[in-house]
Amino acid sequence: MAFVTLLPQKTEIEEGAVSERVLDVENLSIEIPVVGGMLHAVDNISLHVERGETLCIVGESGCGKSLTSLAIMDLLPKKAIRTVNKMSLNDENILNFSEKQMSNVRGNKMGMIFQEPMSSLNPSFTVENQMLETLSRHRNIVGSQAKDLVIQMLEKVGIIPAEKRLRQYPHQLSGGLRQRVMIAMTLLCEPELIIADEPTTALDVTIQAQILKLMKGLQNDFNVGLIFITHDLGVVANIADRVAVMYAGQIVEEGSVFDIFDNPSHPYTRGLLSCIPVPGKIKRGEPLGSIPGMVPSLVGDFQGCRFSGRWGDAHEQLDGADIKLASTSDKSKTYKVKGSETHLIRFCCEDCLKKSYIFDKRKAS
Amino acid sequence: MSDLMVEARGVTKDFRISRGLFRGKEVLRAVDRVSLNVNRGETLAVVGESGCGKTTLAKIMLGLLEPDDGTIKLCGMPINEISRLDLAKLVQPIFQDPYSSLNPRKTIGSIIQLPLLVQGDKNPENWRKRVLTTMDLVGLPSRMFDQFPNQLSGGQRQRVAIARALINRPKIVICDEPTSALDVSVQSQILNLLNELRSELDLTYILISHNLAVVEHMATKVAVMYFGEKVEESETDQLFSRPQHDYTKTLLDSILVPDPRSASKFH
Repeated sequence: MAFVTLLPQKTEIEEGAVSERVLDVENLSIEIPVVGGMLHAVDNISLHVERGETLCIVGESGCGKSLTSLAIMDLLPKKAIRTVNKMSLNDENILNFSEKQMSNVRGNKMGMIFQEPMSSLNPSFTVENQMLETLSRHRNIVGSQAKDLVIQMLEKVGIIPAEKRLRQYPHQLSGGLRQRVMIAMTLLCEPELIIADEPTTALDVTIQAQILKLMKGLQNDFNVGLIFITHDLGVVANIADRVAVMYAGQIVEEGSVFDIFDNPSHPYTRGLLSCIPVPGKIKRGEPLGSIPGMVPSLVGDFQGCRFSGRWGDAHEQLDGADIKLASTSDKSKTYKVKGSETHLIRFCCEDCLKKSYIFDKRKAS
Repeated sequence: MSDLMVEARGVTKDFRISRGLFRGKEVLRAVDRVSLNVNRGETLAVVGESGCGKTTLAKIMLGLLEPDDGTIKLCGMPINEISRLDLAKLVQPIFQDPYSSLNPRKTIGSIIQLPLLVQGDKNPENWRKRVLTTMDLVGLPSRMFDQFPNQLSGGQRQRVAIARALINRPKIVICDEPTSALDVSVQSQILNLLNELRSELDLTYILISHNLAVVEHMATKVAVMYFGEKVEESETDQLFSRPQHDYTKTLLDSILVPDPRSASKFH
């Protein structure tokens, strides 16, 4: 690609063997002190992203999806408490980075695309200004070379002619164009990892399809790891390689996109999938499936089952022979779903497991 | 009374937009000669990108905006000959964002009761009972009568908005993106509720949405709008199997099917 040759080499990273695992997070928990006590927003989750891979995090609002992404970027609110055993970017431990080191990583090796592009672009600077700043801050590229790069990148994300847009302010652009500018800005420093938090939720369906196609294409070109946060299962099916389903601060099911859609094994995932109207699958006007109740409050020491009150009347139990115990921690149990090594489900308590699966004693013996 | 509930003929609405200081005004045609017929019990979905005039059309049908040209008849009567109170009894809106459409200082009970007060209902002693019946109808527990909107979840707030729209038993309900601010699990509950209420109360819906899966599930008829004009209108099945206009085809192409095998458009 002509574009890459223009950039000076990123020395620190490209020396030595390039790891395939871009991001590795182990046992991340986030607690936030609130009026009623401690809010356990994220409870002991682990995730990893390979180079060129898309990991989708799905779940209802209030499940801790966005906090997880902020924790990875170290952008949590000041009073939030982050505990994590391991957090590495390209095998480099970023856990003990100082604020200054972290700000060299953010925007440079890790990019972030937010939901509402209007609030993440500065309204009082032109597109050109904001994009040039990124380059001078992280790459020390200024002047005409920087401008050429910016124009190239804008054309790469489909803003043509780019020169005309350079001197415009964010409010003069449409929502789709703004999101394209955000993506171009994120890609300017060729990050290793991009975290996209509901990047298409505020856009029209036709624009959404364009942006998703663009992101997927650019991801292949640049070979970056992508964490995509969404609640739209249609989007997930179309762009994900792997999926992590979050519920009440925990990852309840994870696996390849085919594992999740062909063989959803956690009752919560099954519930989510039954909620969406699928043309051709459910007759018009027929009732859709639903998950009763709402996400429990996670303030204070959580006792009992996170799913209590959310079991529908018609929930079906599955065969316990289809899963086998993979690991146990003090709070939760992880099971492997048979047929796939990477397809995992987690239950918050025994009660939850018993309600989801029938264990036939004769089969086990 | 005829079965034609909404009859729009050549409805046009212009907005005059400032181009800047001393530059004069520019005319933006938000709705351009749109004609629609909706029969009793039907659900007409209006789809199109943002800024194509869907919401302006809804506001005209609610009597909140006056069209610059064209006529609208509700239940056979021209809309400008119906008094405001009668109009409110006939047609009611449900808006997109239940977080901003409810007054945060009022209790749930008084929010739902307000239409009765506005209409000058004769029997104030019956109001509480009617509110509770309507709350029951939309699946809100009666203990919420004295609670405030901030104590409710998004789905419950949307139920309050639906209860408020239905307490005077309107004939037409205009739903402007009723579920796009909600989670999928809540969306399915609200869609199920709207479908139940339609048959129970003999309602006619006009559903504005950009979620085509929802449109496919709910609507009997679909009108596609593009830059203020209605470019296509047909039965739902026909529209989804044989789209005519190029824009409709683009729209249908952008549906993301939640099945990685048939979908995988971007893999």
